[in-house]
Amino acid sequence: MTDDYLDPTDSVAVPRKTAPRPASLDGKVVTLLDISKAKGDHLLDRVEELLRERTGVRTIVRKKKPTFARPAPDALRAEIVGATDVLVEGLAD
Amino acid sequence: MTDGLPVVPPTRERVARAVEACGRAADELIALVPPNFGRATVEKIAINAVMAGCRPDYLPVVIAAVEAVCDERFDLHGVSATTNSTAQLIVVNGPVREALEINCGANLFGPGWRANATIGRALRLVCVNLGGAVPGVVSMSTFAHPGRYTYCIGEWEAQNPWESLAVEHGFAPTDSTVALLAADAPITVYDQRSRTAADLCATLAGTLAVIEHHKMTHWGDTLLVLSPAHAATIAGDGWSKADVRRFLFERLQWPVRELVPGVNGGDGLPDHVLRKFADPAHDATLVPKFRAPEHIKLVVAGGTAGRFSAVVPGWTFSKGSNLVFRRIR
Repeated sequence: MTDDYLDPTDSVAVPRKTAPRPASLDGKVVTLLDISKAKGDHLLDRVEELLRERTGVRTIVRKKKPTFARPAPDALRAEIVGATDVLVEGLAD
Repeated sequence: MTDGLPVVPPTRERVARAVEACGRAADELIALVPPNFGRATVEKIAINAVMAGCRPDYLPVVIAAVEAVCDERFDLHGVSATTNSTAQLIVVNGPVREALEINCGANLFGPGWRANATIGRALRLVCVNLGGAVPGVVSMSTFAHPGRYTYCIGEWEAQNPWESLAVEHGFAPTDSTVALLAADAPITVYDQRSRTAADLCATLAGTLAVIEHHKMTHWGDTLLVLSPAHAATIAGDGWSKADVRRFLFERLQWPVRELVPGVNGGDGLPDHVLRKFADPAHDATLVPKFRAPEHIKLVVAGGTAGRFSAVVPGWTFSKGSNLVFRRIR
């Protein structure tokens, strides 16, 4: 009888996967993405400090979304994807 | 997923009836629904509409609403993922209101009309089932509000002393349209005693002032729903919609020094705005609540008894969601 009921979801949608996690940050390029929420930069400043203290990261890159209210612009995403090994996003609130 | 309430089982027969009623191909792609970009075909929208309890002839309204929320300007990604409380409000204009018995009068935001109840619900189910706005997973709103079950009203054009919302935005009176607003819950404004436009608009400004928080500025599209009685008082003084907007815009401005974080509340102007002033704590430059008068959108609706209006705050920030229209086909 299940065939008599139609699926309200998009059954062809591909399930999303998170990116594989590196075993170590040694020699990696890490991007810290500020989404423009108030005080998000405070959190990321501290994350940067800790990464420099505790890991062997090669470079830390700081990027910022124009607004937290919308997804990152395509150009910014492409820029990050092409140039970083690890992304840390300072989410809201 | 549902909204927690029981649904009508979407049988092939019921869905086929809805698709047939709208006169479009079942596999026609209407939109990709953010944030997961599920494919909203006519059939997928129809399945969700059936589940919501829509009559087959409601489907064109639901389709137009889906098109509108998937417009980039609406920013459905943000609306579905924000920690804020916003929901998708549908405002219907034109002849379709009578044809489908969409309520524009008493009990405007409340229950009692199948069209209002199920069209709004269908849109919400589309956002969950095709957009992925699953509560607690993608949709992380701290509070949300009851409009996330359904949020759909009509404008009572016959009680409107001015042109309708849709006509004001370039549509013909014979067009049927939806206007979609990312909207907070309505805030009722009580004013029984004002008998002039200026007095009444001063009251309305008092409620508009506290949208989001009392020091929020640079706000965008927000709906002001005037009851027929309040609209008659304002229009009776010869004021146009533009006059109302100008009065409210000019009244809703405060000097920078009153908007500094820590003055009358810890929040206030963001750092990038404060940096524009040499000495914000003493600066008298006026900053408006709304970016422009045109962001205050006026409609006339609600019961003829009662001198109330309602403010329906948008979810806009400086670059967020905008009011988006679509013609119903």
